[in-house]
Amino acid sequence: MSLRRIILFLIGGMLLLSLISIVASYFLIEHQMHVLLPFTDQDATGHALHGLLVQHSAIIFVFTTLITSLSFIVFSDLVLKPLRKMVEAVEGFTERSEPIVMSEFVSAPAEIQKLASVFEQFTAKVEESHARDTEISRVKSDFISTAAHQFRTPLTGIRWALEALEKEELTESQKALVASAVEKSHSLVNIVGTLLDISSIESGKHKYSFAYADLIELLAETVNDFAELATRNNVSLYFVPPQDELPQVRMDRERIKWVLNNIIENGLRYTPAGGSVSIVTQLTAQRVYVHIRDTGIGIQPKDRDNIFERFYRAENAVAKENAGNGLGLYIARTIATDHGGDLNFKANEDGPGTTFSLSLPVSESQATPSA
Amino acid sequence: MAETKFILVVEDDPVLKNLLGHTFAGKYQTLYASDGNEALALFEANKPSIVLLDLMLPTMDGFAVLEAIRSRTDELKNVPVIVVSNLGQDKDKERVKALGANDYLIKAEVSIEEIVAKLESTLNASAAPAAATPDAAAPAAGADATVPPPAV
Repeated sequence: MSLRRIILFLIGGMLLLSLISIVASYFLIEHQMHVLLPFTDQDATGHALHGLLVQHSAIIFVFTTLITSLSFIVFSDLVLKPLRKMVEAVEGFTERSEPIVMSEFVSAPAEIQKLASVFEQFTAKVEESHARDTEISRVKSDFISTAAHQFRTPLTGIRWALEALEKEELTESQKALVASAVEKSHSLVNIVGTLLDISSIESGKHKYSFAYADLIELLAETVNDFAELATRNNVSLYFVPPQDELPQVRMDRERIKWVLNNIIENGLRYTPAGGSVSIVTQLTAQRVYVHIRDTGIGIQPKDRDNIFERFYRAENAVAKENAGNGLGLYIARTIATDHGGDLNFKANEDGPGTTFSLSLPVSESQATPSA
Repeated sequence: MAETKFILVVEDDPVLKNLLGHTFAGKYQTLYASDGNEALALFEANKPSIVLLDLMLPTMDGFAVLEAIRSRTDELKNVPVIVVSNLGQDKDKERVKALGANDYLIKAEVSIEEIVAKLESTLNASAAPAAATPDAAAPAAGADATVPPPAV
């Protein structure tokens, strides 16, 4: 119930009580007059007294009504209006970050002025901490970008030198050593690249190149890329194409492939030999889903709320692999949400393992997909 | 008959320069510049067929070098430029593209073989139209005498 209505009821109630008491006192006095005074209704004095009483009651009646109405108007003007303005100011700040205009509250009662000034200080604090957050985020992003450049330059030297060394006449054991060094230098290059990607995706500065693409073809291609790893791990990896055609999906193909790579790679990594990683699609009115189901070790309940956090690694995460830097799922979900989709997972109900579901929006008006 | 291609490599890191030279030696006639001013001077004097350009350079950065090349009024304006840098953010790529670079490679993410492949494909792509115009071939031939041996 609004304050205005409460006041209306209170003042209205007061008015009603006053009016009842006026009417009651009128009848009471009238009755008393009959008992105490020696005249009848026909007397001139009786008439005059009666008229006076009616007149008097009417004046009090009108006066009371006026006073209460006036007090309602004044009260709502003094208290309700500034209070409503205050509410608007709070809403304006919360929804649109509009600053509070203090000059609007100079004529408000002291308490509301105080409230406005406290709120002004509060908004200043919020803005300050917001500005600080933005600054920290910018500095961090700049730092990552500079650090990436600084890391890459010596890395380039190591990589190129090792690749040149690989081509020299080497003994078998030397070849194996150089090959390991080359492989690790490539991993390091990839990590630096991933860090840069995160910093740009996280800061919202990443420029996606959206185009309509064939999701089935992308899935087939991605599954094919992992065929060798799956065979090596003795995990069966398969994609079941849908019976019906899927509409073209608007996406940044490279980024979505990156997301799929991450989930499939995770699935393969955490699925013991003999298990499987299967991929199916599902089309609803507004979305297309890619379900990637593994029969792996699963995600512990206590980790489930956190796996999409930056740098989070589940306790049972494979620690020895360099690719597991705790960033993959965080960026993967950010990419999915930047596409207007989402990335989620569920523990399998009918057995061990996890099913990750990537969803992407599909629109109805896709008769003529544009590039 | 075989036209020798001169390549201008702009790279300030001596180690990376040597590693590039290690692969390029015998394949191309290569010129090396270690900073932006030197790059433009060598470019002017030797009229290379293609430029490999780093971005973070002393005296004058790669963006400025690229801008200077593309704002020329003679035929050298269209010499292909492949940016090979460790700067890899979208904003850098877009800026370089807007300035008119033919390609962008992130140094750490490619092997020298991939750089060579990109060089070859870019040279082949630009050779076709260049061969059709005799004006473009003449100054390149005249420059042969002034090209110093690769300073590896």
